[in-house]
Amino acid sequence: MTSLNEEQASFLLVVARRIVPEVAGLDERGCAQVLAIIDRALMDRGADVCRKFGVFLGVLRWAPVIRYGRTFSGLRPDRQDAVVRWFESAPLGLLRQGTWGLKSMAFMGYYGRVEAWEEIGYAPSFDSLERLGA
Amino acid sequence: MRELSVDVAIIGSGAGGGAVAKELAPLARAGRRVVVLEWGAKLAEHEYTGHEVDMAGKLYFENGGVFTKDRNMTMAFGRAYGGSTVVYTGTSLTVPDRVVARWGVPGLNWGDLQQRSAKYLVENNVHLQPEERLNDNNRLFRLGCERLGYRCEQFPINVKGCRASSLCNLGCPNAAKQGTHRVQLPMAEAAGVEVVTNCRVTRVSERACEAVVANPGYGEPSAWEPGEYRVTAKAVVVCGGAVNSPALLLRSGFGGALPALGRYLTLHPALILVAEHERPITNFVGHPKSFYCDEFLESHGFLLETCMYFPFVTAKNLIGFGAEHSQLMRAFPRLQMILVLAVDPALASNRVVVDAAGEPVVDYTLTDEVLDSLHASMKASARIFFAAGARRVHSPAGARFFLEEADADRIDELIPRRNVVPGKISVTSAHLMGGCRMGGGPADSVTDAWGRVHGVPWLYVADSSLFPRASEINPYVTVMALADRAAEHLRAHAGELLNR
Repeated sequence: MTSLNEEQASFLLVVARRIVPEVAGLDERGCAQVLAIIDRALMDRGADVCRKFGVFLGVLRWAPVIRYGRTFSGLRPDRQDAVVRWFESAPLGLLRQGTWGLKSMAFMGYYGRVEAWEEIGYAPSFDSLERLGA
Repeated sequence: MRELSVDVAIIGSGAGGGAVAKELAPLARAGRRVVVLEWGAKLAEHEYTGHEVDMAGKLYFENGGVFTKDRNMTMAFGRAYGGSTVVYTGTSLTVPDRVVARWGVPGLNWGDLQQRSAKYLVENNVHLQPEERLNDNNRLFRLGCERLGYRCEQFPINVKGCRASSLCNLGCPNAAKQGTHRVQLPMAEAAGVEVVTNCRVTRVSERACEAVVANPGYGEPSAWEPGEYRVTAKAVVVCGGAVNSPALLLRSGFGGALPALGRYLTLHPALILVAEHERPITNFVGHPKSFYCDEFLESHGFLLETCMYFPFVTAKNLIGFGAEHSQLMRAFPRLQMILVLAVDPALASNRVVVDAAGEPVVDYTLTDEVLDSLHASMKASARIFFAAGARRVHSPAGARFFLEEADADRIDELIPRRNVVPGKISVTSAHLMGGCRMGGGPADSVTDAWGRVHGVPWLYVADSSLFPRASEINPYVTVMALADRAAEHLRAHAGELLNR
C-alpha cells in the first residue's frame, strides 16, 4: 500500500472487519484485494486526503484509551462496534465525516471485488433482455 | 510550451460541449478550425467493463465521490469523451414552463427552450420504453405510487439498441445510450471538428487557453502529443460543468468583474433509499430509471425517481455497518431502490471557489429547509415501498436499521427529523447547476441569455453552470438547449468574432 503505512493498513483491516464482517473470512489474497482497491481510491484523491485519512485512523485507534483504557484493537468486538457507532453519530462533524469516509473505503474495498458480487447475488450481464423476459 | 492557433476552442465535451461542437460544424465545414478540448479519455469499446470500481475510476472525477468543502455531501460528475452524458441514465425531460419563469432571465423564454429541446429529443432517439422492457424495481415504484394516489410519470429515455444491462451509470457497454459520445461528437468530427481528449485546460486568457495533455494509461491516446500548449482562439466556449467551468474562470481572473462567478450553485441533494422484498425481483437487469413522482415537488420540495445502483454505491448509502448492513446487502436481488432529489434554493453563499493551487472547492451548505425536504422524502419513500409490498425498509434516519411491515403505520414516529444528521447520512449529487448563471447584468450574473460572458464578447459558457436556479428535473436536455443557443449566437456573430 502506498497511501498508508503498514501499521495503518493493518489497523484499517481491523476496523474493516467490524464494518463488513465478511472481511474476517477473507484469506490473504482477499485482504490484499480489499487494500489494493482502497489504496487506489486514496491515491486518486491525492496526498492531502491520504494524510487526513491516516490521521483519522490514528484518532479512531487511540481514542478508546480515554474511555476503556485500551486501544481500539484491544477491545472486545462489541465495544469496537460501540466506538464506531459513537464516532458515526459524534457531535463533532469531523468525526462523523471521517467515519463516513472510513466506512465508504471499507465498503469499496469489499464490495468492489467481483467475488463479493457473487456472494450477494449481484450478477450483471451486458445482455439481460432474456432475464428481463422481454 | 507549444503554440497553436484555432478559430473556436470548446472546453469540455458533455451535453453542452457536444451540442456546441455539433452546432458549430458548419464553421468547420467552411474551413474554420474548431477544436474540442476534453479533460477525459475516450474509452475503446472493450474498456466498458461494467465493473463498478474500474469504471468509476475511469469515467468520473475522483471515482464519483468529490466532497463538498464541509464533507457533508459527495458529488458525481463525469470526465470522458462525452462528459457526464457517458454516465447518466439518459432520462430526457424538457424543462417546465414554471422553472424558466422562476429563472427570470431577460431574453430567455420557455418556448425557445422547448423548441430546441424537441430537436435534441429527436436527435437522441428519445422515447418511452414499452411495458415489457420495464423491470420489477420500476413497476413496484409505480404500483406503490398508484396505491397511495401519488402522481407518477414515465421517463422518456435516449437509448437505441438497449440490451437491458442496467449499467448506464458505468457507461453503457452496448453503445445504446445516445450521449454526446454517440451522437453529437461523431457528427461534429465527421464535419471536421477536432476533438482532443486527455487535455486539461488550466487557464483562459485574452482569446487564448493554456492546456496540458497527459494520457492516463487507458482509453485512446490524445490526438495531440503529451505536453503543455498555448492555444490561441478567436472565440472560447467553456463547457466544463458546474464545478470546473466557474473554477476555470475564477482561476483565470474573471472573478473581479463578475461577483456572481462561482455563486448560486445548486445540487439537487440526493438520497438513495432501499427496501427489501420477500422474493427476488428484476432490479439489476433492465433500464434502471423508468418512473418519477413529482407529487411532493411544490409542497415539500423533492422529486422521487426509480433507480438501481451497484454494490459499493448501495453499501455506502446505507446507514450503519456490521451484521445488519451485510444482511441487507445479501438481499441484493430482492432490493427495491428510490432516488430522492431535493430542490435546493440558489444561494449566493453556495459556491465554487478555488484554493491556493487553483483547484475547485465546492463550498456548499445543506440548509434546514433542504434537510426538511430530505426527511419528508424518506417518509414518503417508506410509504411507497410498503405500499409496493416490501417486507422491510431501510431509512437513513430510521430509529432502527430496518422498519418492518408492521411499522408501516408508525413511519412518522420511526423516521424522526432529529436523525437527519449531515455527515452521518449519505447525501450525494449528480445534478450540479449554477456558478456561471445567466442574467441581466454583471452585478448578479455571469452571462447573458445566450451564454455570452458579460463584457467579454469572445467568451461563452454553455453547460449546466448557466442555470440561475435548480432545473427541478434531470437537466441534460436543458443543457443541450442552452448550448444550442450559445452556438447559434456564436455562429451569428462569426463575422465579427472570427475575422480578426
